[in-house]
Amino acid sequence: MTSPAEQEVLVSARGLEVHFPVRSGGALRRTTGALRAVDGVDLDVYRGETLGLVGESGCGKSTLGNALLRLVPPTGGTVTFDGLDVTAMGRKQLRELRRRAGMVFQDPFASLDPRRTVAQTVSEPLEVHGLHPGRQARAARVRELLELVGLDAGVAARYPHEFSGGQRQRVGIARALAGEPDFLVCDEAIASLDVSVQAQVLNLLRRLQRQLGLTLLFISHDLSAVRHVSDRIAVMYLGRVVEVGPAAAVAAEPQMPYARALLSAVPVPHPELERSRQRIVLRGDVPSPARVPSGCRFRTRCPDVFEPCPDVDPVLQPVGSAPGHLAACHLHGVVGAPVQRAEPGAPVGAGDPAS
Amino acid sequence: MTAPLLEVEDLRVDLRTPRGTAHVVNGLSYTVGPGETVAVVGESGSGKSVSVLALLGLLPERTATVTGRALLQGEDLLTMAPERLRRVRGPGVGMVFQDPMTSLNPVLTVGRQLTEGLRAHGPVSKAAARARAVELLGEVGLPDPGRAVDRYPHELSGGMRQRVVIAMALANSPALLVADEATTALDVTVQAQIIDLVERLQAEQGTGVIWITHDLGVVAGIADRVLVMYGGRCVEDGTVDDVLERPVHPYTRGLLGALPDLATADDADLATIPGTPPAPTDLPAGCVFWPRCPVRGDARCETEQPPLAVVGAGGGELPHRAATWCAEGEAS
Repeated sequence: MTSPAEQEVLVSARGLEVHFPVRSGGALRRTTGALRAVDGVDLDVYRGETLGLVGESGCGKSTLGNALLRLVPPTGGTVTFDGLDVTAMGRKQLRELRRRAGMVFQDPFASLDPRRTVAQTVSEPLEVHGLHPGRQARAARVRELLELVGLDAGVAARYPHEFSGGQRQRVGIARALAGEPDFLVCDEAIASLDVSVQAQVLNLLRRLQRQLGLTLLFISHDLSAVRHVSDRIAVMYLGRVVEVGPAAAVAAEPQMPYARALLSAVPVPHPELERSRQRIVLRGDVPSPARVPSGCRFRTRCPDVFEPCPDVDPVLQPVGSAPGHLAACHLHGVVGAPVQRAEPGAPVGAGDPAS
Repeated sequence: MTAPLLEVEDLRVDLRTPRGTAHVVNGLSYTVGPGETVAVVGESGSGKSVSVLALLGLLPERTATVTGRALLQGEDLLTMAPERLRRVRGPGVGMVFQDPMTSLNPVLTVGRQLTEGLRAHGPVSKAAARARAVELLGEVGLPDPGRAVDRYPHELSGGMRQRVVIAMALANSPALLVADEATTALDVTVQAQIIDLVERLQAEQGTGVIWITHDLGVVAGIADRVLVMYGGRCVEDGTVDDVLERPVHPYTRGLLGALPDLATADDADLATIPGTPPAPTDLPAGCVFWPRCPVRGDARCETEQPPLAVVGAGGGELPHRAATWCAEGEAS
């Protein structure tokens, strides 16, 4: 692991937005507002790293993962993949992106076609992208992929229902690796597995990353698992990345009050620690992404809210002692774009990161 | 120690399935005292949920065979007449399940569902029941309970729904609360709120709690005692400190080793348990864990079922017990 500053950026989002129209009921179905699932995300993923993306349900982490691969169309901002503008890609370029960037999904029971054998499932990307042409070459590659994820090559002719959850997830990973991707998005890839099986899949992902030099975006609500696999961690709240930095720094010294509360809520299997620790219990629920609070979006639940919070939308700025540790919080100095009120003259735009 | 609230003795559950008889729970014994929290942990298929469904008569009669004894305040739940059992659920035992959306009726308001339980267990006027429902929603920390009472489940967030379910479970001030993966579907910050809530109510009312979960972190925070289930058997039990800090059974150790740990993160690979849990239709002879066990240090492992025996310094009121032939002494 080198320091982020020396590393090459593989995937980059700037001001990325995915807004879904909110329509009124009734016959006219007028657009009455926007659900801001992803709302101004600035994020870099460095080549060869594992970036953990955490946040609670509805914070937009899955939508962000999808938007980076253009599986949902962004409504604003830019995404680049290895220097290429993903939002502007044509069909051919997009197909190449699909080969170079794979996805591992949460539910291995839903993401595999029950009527296809493992071999058919894993070889499909090979056919689509014209890799390893010829039936025998493809079959050989499938065997190689299955062995890579720790499955016996003999399972190729079997169907998904014959496998346990952990084995299915391995099949899903083998398929995602078929096109020899540079980048893999794992969206809650271990969430539906039992603890002992989770550990097997986590170890596998780490091994594959080292072996193949993969770049991983590991999306999960399980902060312990994210801490275990990630080089860096990004924390999302209500459509925005609010803190990002080296995994150890974010986990041990979160700088933004939401990240602090989130980390403090993670139970650890040590009775002594659990009894003595102070949990920060947040008030209320996450606001609807259709009604994002003005200024800092966390201010309605923040225990440390003060004057500038409703008026200035904070941007990511360097915090703490670790290099590359950024947080969007006015406690570290008021930096950001003033909120536009009814009166004219306020500057427009969300502002760029201060880093 | 005062008399236990619940005494389960040699509970066994067999389910008839197309693939043969599934031995889902195989001789489970434990007690829950007033104000005590007993955590039942295990992976999917270990029998942890079925073991409590059986206590409450919630398994399908035609396919399930339940034997053993389960004394709730001295009365055997397993031999109770259905009519009597229905009276006991509610004031005796409250239940909270994993998914609040499936425990709530989507076409009835929250208030309607809460008052139904209240009025079923006592002569309460409509108005009084409604007032009590509002009070309960306030107690579980729902904002603006006066309005929430007229809402439908889909208008509430997951955390709020689970609070409603908890309010329903607590409506008749049960002596025992059973929480089956009650916070598994919730985010950690909401989970922290719910755990806080249950602990507070428990302190106020002296409720005994059975907390079923696979999350050992949650267990560390809430449990007084822990019971580890595998293959329908209790393989280890004891105080939360004994079981989590000084595990003896190779399965418990494996489970703890497989857990990524926020508190002691390091770069090493996680320990894994090879293979998958046994099918309840086809349990191994001998120790249930031996086919996956990294130790297998005794000739009896494959043939003779180890009894749940006191280990370590043990003894006392809450002995640390494990069912293994291979107790390796104290863990690191």
